[in-house]
Amino acid sequence: MVESLLSLESVSRIYGTDVEVHALHQVSLDIFSGDFMSIVGPSGSGKSTMLGLLGLLDVPTKGNVKVKGVDATSMNDFQRSRLRGDAIGFVFQQFHLIPHLSALGNVETALLYRGLSPKTRKKKAAESLDKLGLGGREDHRPVQLSGGEQQRVAIARAIVTDPLVVLADEPTGALDSENAENIMKVFADLKSPERAVCLVTHDMQIADATERKISMKDGEIVQDLIQGDKK
Amino acid sequence: MKRFFELVRVAIAGLTARKVRTLLILLGPILGVGAIVAAIGINESSKGYLKSQLQELGTDLIVANAQDSLGGFGQTPRIPEDAIGRVSRLPDVTSVTGTYQISNVVTLPFDDAEDYYKAFPVPVLATGLNLPETMEVPMVSGRFINQFDYDHSARAAVIGRDLADEYGYMRGEQRTISLNGIDYGVVGVLDWVLLEPSMDSAVFIAFSTAEKDWEIENQDPTRLYVRAPTNTKLVAEEIPTVVSLGGPDGARTSVPTDLLNAESQVDESLNTLTKLMGGLALIVGGVGIANVMSISVIQRSSEIGIRRALGHTRTTIAMQFLFEALVVGVLGGIFGALAGAGVVWFTSWSRDYVMILSLPSLIGWSLVSVAVAVASGLYPSMKAARLEPLETLRLG
Repeated sequence: MVESLLSLESVSRIYGTDVEVHALHQVSLDIFSGDFMSIVGPSGSGKSTMLGLLGLLDVPTKGNVKVKGVDATSMNDFQRSRLRGDAIGFVFQQFHLIPHLSALGNVETALLYRGLSPKTRKKKAAESLDKLGLGGREDHRPVQLSGGEQQRVAIARAIVTDPLVVLADEPTGALDSENAENIMKVFADLKSPERAVCLVTHDMQIADATERKISMKDGEIVQDLIQGDKK
Repeated sequence: MKRFFELVRVAIAGLTARKVRTLLILLGPILGVGAIVAAIGINESSKGYLKSQLQELGTDLIVANAQDSLGGFGQTPRIPEDAIGRVSRLPDVTSVTGTYQISNVVTLPFDDAEDYYKAFPVPVLATGLNLPETMEVPMVSGRFINQFDYDHSARAAVIGRDLADEYGYMRGEQRTISLNGIDYGVVGVLDWVLLEPSMDSAVFIAFSTAEKDWEIENQDPTRLYVRAPTNTKLVAEEIPTVVSLGGPDGARTSVPTDLLNAESQVDESLNTLTKLMGGLALIVGGVGIANVMSISVIQRSSEIGIRRALGHTRTTIAMQFLFEALVVGVLGGIFGALAGAGVVWFTSWSRDYVMILSLPSLIGWSLVSVAVAVASGLYPSMKAARLEPLETLRLG
C-alpha cells in the first residue's frame, strides 16, 4: 500500500529578520513509498531550502513537516536528530565523506550511538558497501577512491540505516557523464515499495530520468508531473 | 556505556587523524604536568636524601666552640681543660672530646711537596683520645692515638681518610709524615667524619705531643665535641654555663645536624612557587588546546554537518569534541606524569638521592591536566554543537 512517508503541509520558510527572504511560500508536498522522484528548478527556486526541510535539517517558519504522519516541527533537536537518523538518508554533491575514516568507517558513522555492537556495525556497513559493489574497498580512504566510488560510499552510508527516504542533493554534479549514469542506475535500484528516493537537481536530464518530477520556481511548486516508469 | 566507548573511539580517531596537531596540543599538558611533578619530586627527593643522611649521622652531637666572653684581643679563646670533665659528668652526656687546631704547621707527605702544601696547609689537630667514640667513626686502618702516645708525648699521628688517599697511604704501611720538618709516624687512618668533613683531611696528634713540639702553652682545647643521645638540646644549653662557671671563659654550642634538619624540611614556599609555575604552564597549555580546537571546529565543519545529517544530536557533537579534549587531558596527564617521574628518577640516580615520588601527587596533577583540558574544550565543543548543518554542508 502506498503511504505518505514525508509530507510538507503549507510550509513557508523565511530567512532573516531585518530583511526577510521568502525562500518557500505555502508549499505542500507528499513523498510516497516507492517514489523515485526529482525536485528540479533553477538556482534560487527554493529547492535546497526544500531539501533542508524534507531532511529535517531545518524547521519551517510556518506549516508542518510530517514523517509518516508524525509532526517533526514541534520536536526538540534531540528528537528531530534521532528521527532524521532513522528516517532520512542523505547523499551530497560533494560526497562529504569524513577524510580520515576508511570507506567502512564512513558508512559505520551512520550507525553510531544506536546501541549496536561494533561487530554488528561493521557487518552492516560491509554489507551496505557490498551492495554498492565496493566489497574489498572497505579499508580505502576517500582519497584512495575515484569520484564515482566515493559517491557510492556516500550512498552506502545513506542506505545502511534502511531509511524511509533517500534525499540526494545534485548527486551527479561532481561526476563525469559515465559515472553519473552509473550513479543514476544505483539510485533507480534503491527504490523499493517501502522506500522513496528523491533527487534535488537543476539538471533536467537527471530529472527526466525519474518517475515523478517536481518543478519549482520562486519558492513555489509549479508542476508535479508523473513521468511513468523510467527504470 | 556503549555510547561512552563509541565517543572515546570517535575522539581517538579524530585525534590520530591529525597526528602533528594532536602532538602539539598534547605538549601543553605534558610540559605543565611534567614540570610540576619533576620539580616537586626533585625537591622532595633531595630532602629525602638529607633526611636519610640525618638518620645515619644521628642528631645528638653537640659542638662547643670556645668564646671569650670578655672579648679579649689577640688571643685565641680556649676552653679550660677541666671543663671536659665537668661536661662529661652532665647527665645524658656519654662522651666528650676536646680538640685544638695548631696553626702554622706545614704537613708534608714527603719533602718535595713543600710548595704545594705551604699553599694548601693541612689542619693539624691536638685531640683527646676518645675522638672516634665521640664522633662515632671507626678507624679504617691501624689505631687512634692512645694513652701510651699521650703519656710519652709520642710523635704518633692519625690521618683523615681523604688525606690518606692524597698521600697515597697504604693500609698497614710503615710511614712517616713531616710536620714542619719533624717526622711523625702514621699509626692509623680515621674514616670519613660526615658531621665534620674538615677532619677527613686533618692530622691528629696527642695534646701532650702538641704541647711539647708546638708550644701550645697548655692542653686547653678550643672546641669540644659532646655526644648526648638524650635531651640533646637541653645539654647544648647547659654546656656554656658548665664551661664558664661564671668566669670569662665561655662557649657557644651548636648541633650540626640542626642545620641539616632545617634543610631537610620540604621548602613549602618553593613548592608553592613551583606549583604556580606549573599551573601557569597548564593554563597556557589549556589556552593552546582551546585555540587549536576552535580552529579545528572550523576546519571540520563539513564533518560536523554530515554527522548532524546522519542523526547525531547537538549533544553528541559537543561530547565528541569534549571527549577529544578529555583524551588530550588524560594522555597529557599520563605522559606528563611519566616524563616528570623520569626526570626525578634521572636526577635521583645521578645525585644519589632516594627517589621520592608521591602517587597521590602524580594522580592529582594528572587530574588537573584532565580538568584543564576539558575546561579548554568546552568552548570549541559548544561552538561545534551550535553549527547549523545546512550552513556547513553547502547544499546545491
